[in-house]
Amino acid sequence: MGKAARDQSARERIKAQREQQRRKDKARRITTIAAAAVVAIAAVGAGWWYAAQSSKSEQATAALAPITVTADGAVVMAKAGVEKPVLDVYEDFQCPACKSLEEASGPTIKNLAAEGKAKVVFHPITIFPEQMNNGITRGNSVRAGVASRCIAGGTPWMQFHDKVFKEQPLENVEGFKISDLVEWGKEAGVTDPNFEKCVTGQEKAAQHTAYSQKILDTQKLQGTPTLKLNGTEVPNDVAFSPSGLRQAVLDAAK
Amino acid sequence: MISALPWVTTVSRLIMAGVLIVAGWGKIGTPVLSVQAVEAYELLPESLARVVGYGLPILEIVVGVLLVVGLLTRVAGVVSALLMLAFVIGIASAWARGLRIDCGCFGGGGQLAAGEEPAYLVDILRDFGLFALGVVIAWFPPGRFALDSALGLTPDRGPDDDTEIIEDEEPPEKEND
Repeated sequence: MGKAARDQSARERIKAQREQQRRKDKARRITTIAAAAVVAIAAVGAGWWYAAQSSKSEQATAALAPITVTADGAVVMAKAGVEKPVLDVYEDFQCPACKSLEEASGPTIKNLAAEGKAKVVFHPITIFPEQMNNGITRGNSVRAGVASRCIAGGTPWMQFHDKVFKEQPLENVEGFKISDLVEWGKEAGVTDPNFEKCVTGQEKAAQHTAYSQKILDTQKLQGTPTLKLNGTEVPNDVAFSPSGLRQAVLDAAK
Repeated sequence: MISALPWVTTVSRLIMAGVLIVAGWGKIGTPVLSVQAVEAYELLPESLARVVGYGLPILEIVVGVLLVVGLLTRVAGVVSALLMLAFVIGIASAWARGLRIDCGCFGGGGQLAAGEEPAYLVDILRDFGLFALGVVIAWFPPGRFALDSALGLTPDRGPDDDTEIIEDEEPPEKEND
């Protein structure tokens, strides 16, 4: 073999080796990229699952704590003798965020009261001004709030409260019709013969708007829903997290 | 100039990652609020708003982490740029429709606090700036201090081709090592 031929074959051998190496590198790269992508996607899935779990609502226990309506229209849900911590719930039946709060943390609030861990005080108020959506939003809110005031307390009050949130109309659509409210009340177990007249005649309207104004003035609410624990506002990221809210209330009891 | 470019990418990665991780972290604990913030834009149907509300925070965090370590840099850069573009469009559309919302960018339920004014312009400028950083990252990955380089995941860059030509001219001792 001449020198030229030797060089030639060496060159080819090297070329083949290099080609092989390149293929190996490529395969390794693809494997690494695929592995990294799979891990990243798995992390997204795991985080999603974690978020879903951590925000999971509790199951409301069957037996609610006794519910009584005070003279000014605040609604107390507490076992006998439980005076603290006090969890104030300021909500508007027409406010979408209040509906979300009820869906997320409503069962937790009921359970805390039923377990004797807190004295819960609901303040159904109307926060929407007349000029919003030509008064439609405010009208919905007032009708629902006024109707809730026609219920003397007990389980029917809570069932009505839950039903109204469930049926919440859009903010710019007229809803919460008087006839519906009467029907929902009866479904909720209201037996008071004056209930229908009270709702139809909007007998508590003045009381409701006056109470709303008083609450807005004195409590300096940033909006609804607002939860206050022993008078201190509960941050939204706690209020909307069932486990976080439970922990906050338990901590406040210490 | 050429030697500074990888550093530009690295700095862009770190800024983008910081914002994404902070934003994701602020939202991930309360997906209920995050869904509400998405719904406040009135752009997506309820089912899709739920998916975004639950999925976006963790997506932001994962993309942020990828950017910090410089893994799958180009993909992470593209995704983060697209996210920012979507945010700019969403906020601009809320502004144009006269909605009065909080962007919900770093948590919260999308409602303004009493007496608070929307900050659309600031939000849009910030997200547009971040979009530009995302483009830089996607264009010039992976920058310094990147796992992509350590793992040899950046084959199509210049140096590889250069060395090939040089090696061809050289005697083959290297291969025998």
